Amino acid sequence: MKRRLFVATSISSALAACSPIGTALNDNAAFHNLLGSTQALNHALIGTHGLAKEYQERDISPDFPIDSLPTPDDANYAGLVRDGFRDYKLVVDGAVKRRGVFPIAMLERLCNETQITRHDCVEGWSVIAKWSGVRLSTILDLVEPRADARYVVFHCMDKDDQGTPYYESLDLHQARHPQTILAMRMNDSPISPDHGAPVRLKVPTQLGYKSAKWIGRIEVVGSFANLYSGGGGYWEDQGYEWYAGI
Amino acid sequence: MVEMKAGERIYRYAVATRLSHWLWVIAFAAMVSSGLQIFNAAPFLDASDTTSPAHRVFEIHTTGDETAIPGWLTIPSYRDLADGRRWHLFFAWVMIICGATWVASSAIKGNLRDMVLRPSDLPKLWPMQAYYFKLRKEPPPHGVYNPLQKAAYTTVLFVLAPLIVLTGLALSPGIDAIAHPLTWIFGGRQFARLWHFVAMLLLIGFFLVHTFQVLTQGFFNQMNAMITGWYRLGKNDEVGP
Repeated sequence: MKRRLFVATSISSALAACSPIGTALNDNAAFHNLLGSTQALNHALIGTHGLAKEYQERDISPDFPIDSLPTPDDANYAGLVRDGFRDYKLVVDGAVKRRGVFPIAMLERLCNETQITRHDCVEGWSVIAKWSGVRLSTILDLVEPRADARYVVFHCMDKDDQGTPYYESLDLHQARHPQTILAMRMNDSPISPDHGAPVRLKVPTQLGYKSAKWIGRIEVVGSFANLYSGGGGYWEDQGYEWYAGI
Repeated sequence: MVEMKAGERIYRYAVATRLSHWLWVIAFAAMVSSGLQIFNAAPFLDASDTTSPAHRVFEIHTTGDETAIPGWLTIPSYRDLADGRRWHLFFAWVMIICGATWVASSAIKGNLRDMVLRPSDLPKLWPMQAYYFKLRKEPPPHGVYNPLQKAAYTTVLFVLAPLIVLTGLALSPGIDAIAHPLTWIFGGRQFARLWHFVAMLLLIGFFLVHTFQVLTQGFFNQMNAMITGWYRLGKNDEVGP
């Protein structure tokens, strides 16, 4: 009996020590940085060159969760919705040779990719949907990034409850991936406001937070260090990995 | 073979085996605690590719801010998916490196040879279990590890360890994009998540039995062996496979 008590006590105290020790270490800045050190290794090993699996019509999920910041409700967005996004124009500027202004009708004419791909959320769930839109590489070819361009930043129209806007970024290699698209249609219908209308990003080779909704403007930059908290994205600024392939 | 007597000390574990063993223990604790933190973000498991309540195998229902797995079992102790992932993706590498080091040094030192279940051990499995059930007076003759221990070690090394690594990799959209069959063989992404969880439970089961054995089968001698490398032979110990 004594021995069993000893065994039980040892195992449970060892278990109970993990969480407080881990939490204390987590608060240590040096250790926290060390923990983040494998991101570059994973990025180098896995990369973003692979092609996401494409599914069949019958695989499309019945429901697609709306799991993001709240749908924009400002006067500007409400006006766009009211007019069926007729007056929406996507501005592409920054480190480009030609600043681009793409009215929605022009984006629709440029549509050159349809994919049925799985959306993998960082939280763990997955859904399959069909997306149609224009390859981001097509847009980049039109604006021609300058030699100093490194990243493509997506400024979005949604804000959190503190008023901080959503944004995301991809490097030029990820941005030129054939499956990286500016999607305007979802499951054969125009994307609904809750799913990011009129234009959202779809990056099926990375976790869902990369696929930014409600894109207002695209900026090509040499570095995102001076944008917001410097992480390269809204969730990245809150500790999530910039490389979201894993 | 040199005749060994009870009370004699043998150098059983190489330094790399001992270091990687203990570092692995730390990595395993970190992986389980941070894995449970990640699980809290979607506390359900589906036997399908996509999330599907129709294929739900396991779910923990929560209300309000309550987490499915209590904070005293997770790293960090509060809800923080970003940091849970940070721990998990770091210690995954520690675990892989320790595991590979341990296997290599155990193979070189000969420990691994003693641990692998062989066809000749199969008929001894039941007699060994019968001995534990007190249906037999003596255990069947065996080497350093008895047939049941060998079965456990073999399962952990050749089934559970590869399974937990591969199912973890199968969850990555980047890896899925360069290796579709990996996610497919496990039945899809959510199914891989389920296998990943099951493999974790079985590894915890192994850890509990292993710890129980160490605590009850000459605790100080066993601990000394895994710290200093030197093991004192008991009267029932046999050397060789």
